[in-house]
Amino acid sequence: MVHALEEIHRLLKPDGYLIEIHPILETPLVKVFDGSTILFVGPYPGYDYEEDLRQAENALQQIVQRQLLVIERISEFDFLTYGSSIAELQDFWGEPAEAREAELYAQVEKIMQAARNGAKVALHERTRISRLMPMRS
Amino acid sequence: MAIQIDPENNETRALFDLADFSGQHVLEIGCGDGRLTWRYGDEAARVTGIDPNADRIARARENMPHELRGRVQFHHISFQDFANSSKSSVFDRVILSWSL
Repeated sequence: MVHALEEIHRLLKPDGYLIEIHPILETPLVKVFDGSTILFVGPYPGYDYEEDLRQAENALQQIVQRQLLVIERISEFDFLTYGSSIAELQDFWGEPAEAREAELYAQVEKIMQAARNGAKVALHERTRISRLMPMRS
Repeated sequence: MAIQIDPENNETRALFDLADFSGQHVLEIGCGDGRLTWRYGDEAARVTGIDPNADRIARARENMPHELRGRVQFHHISFQDFANSSKSSVFDRVILSWSL
């Protein structure tokens, strides 16, 4: 990751910049909506990227400490992916369902069945976006 | 219901709040199926999208809006291989979206 950021630094023009986007280190939420009403909110247990995210943040930190890239601006936003079921969302991501998710599946499906037609489920990820400018020695 | 990704356009708003793409040469690393590329591609002068996943690059090429043809190019290649074959100081913007 550090090497990738070094290469990005090399590829950027001196007045250019990098836009880096990644979810923050916080468990994403599963939300069930019926229209604008939120019927359910709970942590998503199938999320296995904490270590990857930690490494990504460490790599960024190293590059900034070495002053190869300087953070000019940073902000956060809510990123939601909607489906008609959690199974549909997982099919989309290509991730197999695991036993620990079975309870959540059952709970969400029950809530959605009780709701009016049109209920949908979303994965809600808080996401960080940064603008980093290359520094030349 | 088809999968809907960020229908609120929060990512697009955050992107345009931080970045100006007008007339710029953009490298998008991990462009996938072009989901994000379509949001800013019409403002950029040139976009080079790369991704190591062949299926996603095929979808990006297939779904490219007509108005972006000739301006946006997608390549099935890893970032390391791409960087090894690239000169220095060529891009105005690099986007690294959910890819680090």
